[in-house]
Amino acid sequence: MATETGKNVILLPQTNQLIGLYSIIRDQATKRGDFVFYSDRIIRLLVEEGLNQLPVEETLIKCHGGHEYKGSRFLGKICGVSIVRAGESMEMGLRDCCRSVRIGKILIQRDEETALPKLFYEKLPEDISERYVFLLDPMLATGGSAMMATEVLISRGVDASRILFLNLLASPEGIAAFHEKYPEVKIITGGIDEKLDEDKYIVPGLGDFGDRYYCI
Amino acid sequence: MKMSSRGLDSTTDSTSQFATIEKTEPSKRYTPPWTKPYIIGIGGFSGSGKTSISQKIILELNQPWTVLLLCDNFYKALTEEERKLALASQYDFDCPAAMDLELLVEKLDSLKRGKKTEIQIYSFSEHNRTEKLFTIYGANVIILEGIMALYDQRLLDMMDIKVFVDTDLDVCLARRLTRDILYRGRDLVGALQQWERFVKPNAVKHIYPTIRNADLVIPRGLDNTTAIDLLIQHVKKQLAVKSKLHIQRLEALGHNFQFNVQSCKNLHILPSTPHTRGIHSIILSKKTERTDFIFYFDRMSNLLIEMALDTLTNYTSVDIRCIKDYTYKGLKQTLEVIAVSVIRSGDCFMNSMKKSIPDIPIGKLLIQSDASTGEPHLHTESLPKREHLAKYILLDAQMIGGAGAIMAIQVLIDHKVKQEDIILVCYLLSEIAMRRLFRVFPEITVVVGKLSNSEEVDTTYNMEGFKDSDWPFLNRFIDSLYFGTD
Repeated sequence: MATETGKNVILLPQTNQLIGLYSIIRDQATKRGDFVFYSDRIIRLLVEEGLNQLPVEETLIKCHGGHEYKGSRFLGKICGVSIVRAGESMEMGLRDCCRSVRIGKILIQRDEETALPKLFYEKLPEDISERYVFLLDPMLATGGSAMMATEVLISRGVDASRILFLNLLASPEGIAAFHEKYPEVKIITGGIDEKLDEDKYIVPGLGDFGDRYYCI
Repeated sequence: MKMSSRGLDSTTDSTSQFATIEKTEPSKRYTPPWTKPYIIGIGGFSGSGKTSISQKIILELNQPWTVLLLCDNFYKALTEEERKLALASQYDFDCPAAMDLELLVEKLDSLKRGKKTEIQIYSFSEHNRTEKLFTIYGANVIILEGIMALYDQRLLDMMDIKVFVDTDLDVCLARRLTRDILYRGRDLVGALQQWERFVKPNAVKHIYPTIRNADLVIPRGLDNTTAIDLLIQHVKKQLAVKSKLHIQRLEALGHNFQFNVQSCKNLHILPSTPHTRGIHSIILSKKTERTDFIFYFDRMSNLLIEMALDTLTNYTSVDIRCIKDYTYKGLKQTLEVIAVSVIRSGDCFMNSMKKSIPDIPIGKLLIQSDASTGEPHLHTESLPKREHLAKYILLDAQMIGGAGAIMAIQVLIDHKVKQEDIILVCYLLSEIAMRRLFRVFPEITVVVGKLSNSEEVDTTYNMEGFKDSDWPFLNRFIDSLYFGTD
């Protein structure tokens, strides 16, 4: 069972197996094929944990053989929103668990002049305000892009408490900064690292996730 | 959809014979049918029709894993000189000294104890054992057939029934000549010489006296259909008793066994959350389409497999070099993980299994329950050969009486796998099956999606209040729906 380490921060259980998986993807010697495969495995665990947060209603299920089962039914529609490009790597994991899920995209890049993140592109489902949103970005370092993306979502009418931010690795600084601005957004992460270094890299981290997933 | 009911729980009348055996044998141990297989010894002259009778018995018994063991494979390897004699029809193959009885005793004893046993095939053209092996494992019935089958007391002691086929020697000679000349390329003179010199004198001197060791004599060989029918009837009756005993032992395993689910460290039950209950609902609902059923069962099995992998403790710490030479204190698995699927319901996990470990070696077991008695039978096994230690994840979607799973674990243990290296993954497990499992194999790890209760419902882990007698815990339906065939 995942633990809630702080208010609205959910950390996957740090089992031997999970640490084993992170050992593979953090290792600079790991080839891209393995990096992609093991990242996908972690992403599926994050998505399962995200789905676990969604509301259900009790319902009586008619089973085979006339048996009845007091089960539950999933309530509420969901959608994914990935922050281009690294966030897109998490779409497959999401589809593995929710087949026909709608996925919106947001492109945020650093403005060359101001060095601040800037919104370049967004494409979101029309009815996004009625949905639970899985915000996808594998790394939470400073939280700059994630905060901007959240801003976009809120401006489209999404309730902050209906946003679940899924990432593989987070820095304590990033979590603090993000939650200072949006305390109601649930952060679901697979690992919380030590700190950020002077270049704003997560320590020990795993490198540029997008590069390792798509290019290297 | 065809549903077989839990045969194991049908009431079987216990005769006093069973009762006494139950008392003397500790019920904590499981004795599979291949430990103490039923051994039939068939002796008689060369050409008396032993082989034909053996084949008829195999055909009529129609039991899985009936094995014919030929004494012919236990001739001694010949020296160069002896080979020359043999080629000139001057070597005596018909006396007891020509047989490697020591080896035969050793192999039969190994089979009697249920061990996996390899037998070398003997070549009559080379007069030597060949490299070719045939492996016997899991035999329920073994027929040992050969002229010397009833000769050695140690062999006789292991047999459950001893049969002598008493065919007139002149009939035997006629059959032998036909066989030698037509099929073995001998000439008439050589074949007759062999008969005169060795076969007949030995038959009279060594083989015929073994008739006294027989429980049953069949005069006139295969022509004597009445005697053969009687023999088969008798063997069938004995096997029915054996089967009944097997079922009773399995049943007894779950009784009078205090077991506390909460304090069992080796049992891992999938936590009941709104989310998992939602998935259970889709899997169990009658309204669910097959595509959805498969999709959600895959998700469920993914959760169970991740849970199973979480139970592994075979890790060693490693320092991982990350970017910028940062170090991460990581972990690495030290043992190989092997999946073993119980055909067919274990196959439902394969999709998810490969998503977690794409190159995992996969073993398969086919264990079928007899439709009328519920007795499990091992039909086939193929396991990856490993000399080193490994962790084995045994997959079976549903366990009703647990008999099949107990047999599957026994097969692994017979292949030198340790109990503590076995992780059984099961979606629906009845309490009675779990009790039986832990009774016999207390060291295994069990990962389960839903565990029912046999009597009072314990809501601490069974919030849905499932009971052993509820439909989903009494009927096999997961694999039928998953594969779309009954």
